[in-house]
Amino acid sequence: MFAIAPVYWMLTISLKTEVEQFATPPPWFVFTPTLAHYYDAFITRGFGQYLLTSAIVAVISTAGALVIGTLAAYALARFELPFRLNRRLSLWILSTRMFPAIVTAVPLFLMMRDLRLLNTRVALILIYTAFNLPFVVWMMRGFFADLPRDLEEAALVDGDSRLGALLRVVLPLVAPGLAATAVFCLIVSWNEFLFALVLTQTEAAMTLPVGIAGRVTQYEIKWGVMSAAASVAIVPILVFALALQKYLVRGLSMGAVKG
Amino acid sequence: MSKSRRFFSAPNRRELLLPLLFIAPAVAVLLTLSIYPLIYSVTISLQRDTASGTIWGLGNFTRLFTDNFFWTAMAHTFVYAIAALTCEFLLGLGLALLLNAQIRGRGFFRASLLVPMMLPPVVVGVVWRLMLNPDFGAINGTLKWFGISTENLTWTASPRLAMLSVIAVDVWQWTPFVFLVLLAGLQAIPQEPYEAALIDGSSRWQTFWHVTLPLLKPSILIVLLLRTMDLLRVFDQIFILTEGGPGFATETISLYIYRTAFRFFDFGYAAAMSFVLLALTNIISAIYIKFLQAPEAT
Repeated sequence: MFAIAPVYWMLTISLKTEVEQFATPPPWFVFTPTLAHYYDAFITRGFGQYLLTSAIVAVISTAGALVIGTLAAYALARFELPFRLNRRLSLWILSTRMFPAIVTAVPLFLMMRDLRLLNTRVALILIYTAFNLPFVVWMMRGFFADLPRDLEEAALVDGDSRLGALLRVVLPLVAPGLAATAVFCLIVSWNEFLFALVLTQTEAAMTLPVGIAGRVTQYEIKWGVMSAAASVAIVPILVFALALQKYLVRGLSMGAVKG
Repeated sequence: MSKSRRFFSAPNRRELLLPLLFIAPAVAVLLTLSIYPLIYSVTISLQRDTASGTIWGLGNFTRLFTDNFFWTAMAHTFVYAIAALTCEFLLGLGLALLLNAQIRGRGFFRASLLVPMMLPPVVVGVVWRLMLNPDFGAINGTLKWFGISTENLTWTASPRLAMLSVIAVDVWQWTPFVFLVLLAGLQAIPQEPYEAALIDGSSRWQTFWHVTLPLLKPSILIVLLLRTMDLLRVFDQIFILTEGGPGFATETISLYIYRTAFRFFDFGYAAAMSFVLLALTNIISAIYIKFLQAPEAT
């Protein structure tokens, strides 16, 4: 209860009239609901545009990270590479995820400026793809390693190519893991704030978190509008959280706890 | 030489082509968007723009020693990280031990615990700006309802309470994570050592200290490692809650780097500071990993 009460409080604020927002004692349960703030935020104030940008960036970067990461994970899990490359590459890939974001924010901003990619979705898609990649590799490598080799070998004997075996035999078997990994990437991209803040300043390119933050730090704050936008921002998260609680802790600790 | 001959020998070459093709895109992406930026950042940090052109040198790094703002931001970062980590760990461990045995039919309970850590940090900021708002926030509103004076409780706007507020928000958001990881760790411990301890007549405290803690050590270290890394680089929530203020009261190192780079456009100095942060996180994670790999000494 303690965990979700504050979120509930925000939901009520988004549904209250401005008079009731300021009432004392605060009405936790009994108030007259209104959708005016939602209309205000998404129809008149352009939060709809931010929402669209967030969704496009999250989906494309997730797809990119999944394709590139799954291929690499499969190779790392299934082939013996020379020079102990399996282990070394895996650790190197993981280490790229360990940098604090602010460390790469400065050079990436300058790179994107030189490439004239500031205020574009492309910049965010590229960066989020790279950001999610280590996670995909580690999660999927674990799922592939858990899978017995017999089925693939059978497919290879039947004359399938390696890629064919991967697509037709292996991927369907790891589909639940793949879905869980995808959801994590979606959430990370959806929630990401620092890079989006640094790289997008125009209305057209802003993601939802940046749009919300821009309103919070202004002098006069429209609390109802803010809460409405923030409430919409958590809907996909809530849906996903309920859908795959089983995988969640493992994902958040990158499968490390399992050993 | 022998190594490279083996690498390029005919039967191996065909076997190797495919995995290398599979791995190449991932390596390429990470080289361009993770490694190259780091190297680029080194060159930025070594440059200083002056009236007479760009000067190369260690000026940005020597400036760190005399910059009081930098050291204050460092101190804030450590206060924040240590306080939040301690609270999250003790609360998380306590809850995990308490609820380990009697936690069945917990679908909704567990799902609701997952909510805070999944939220976009920006939304966490908004939620707590609302909760802590002195005029209409639920915290002060509820306190008033109990007849407690809230005149001085301006939370994020008060220099004294701002740090406490941002720490409390992080504890709210991440204690459930610590709890869930430790609970998973506890539930993976087999029954036998407990039975043995029981036969030996150990007290509950001895059992906890000599059986539970050592067996839980990997989970503990991993959760502490992950939280420490996140806490040292904290940016989003504080940016929304206080923007590092009031004044400089909650400015952490990431916020100071952000301000230096994107408000004052001093990219060189920002890059230099970010390397200090990078070195710091690397050293601390190396220490954790060393402990993690150390042989179990029970």
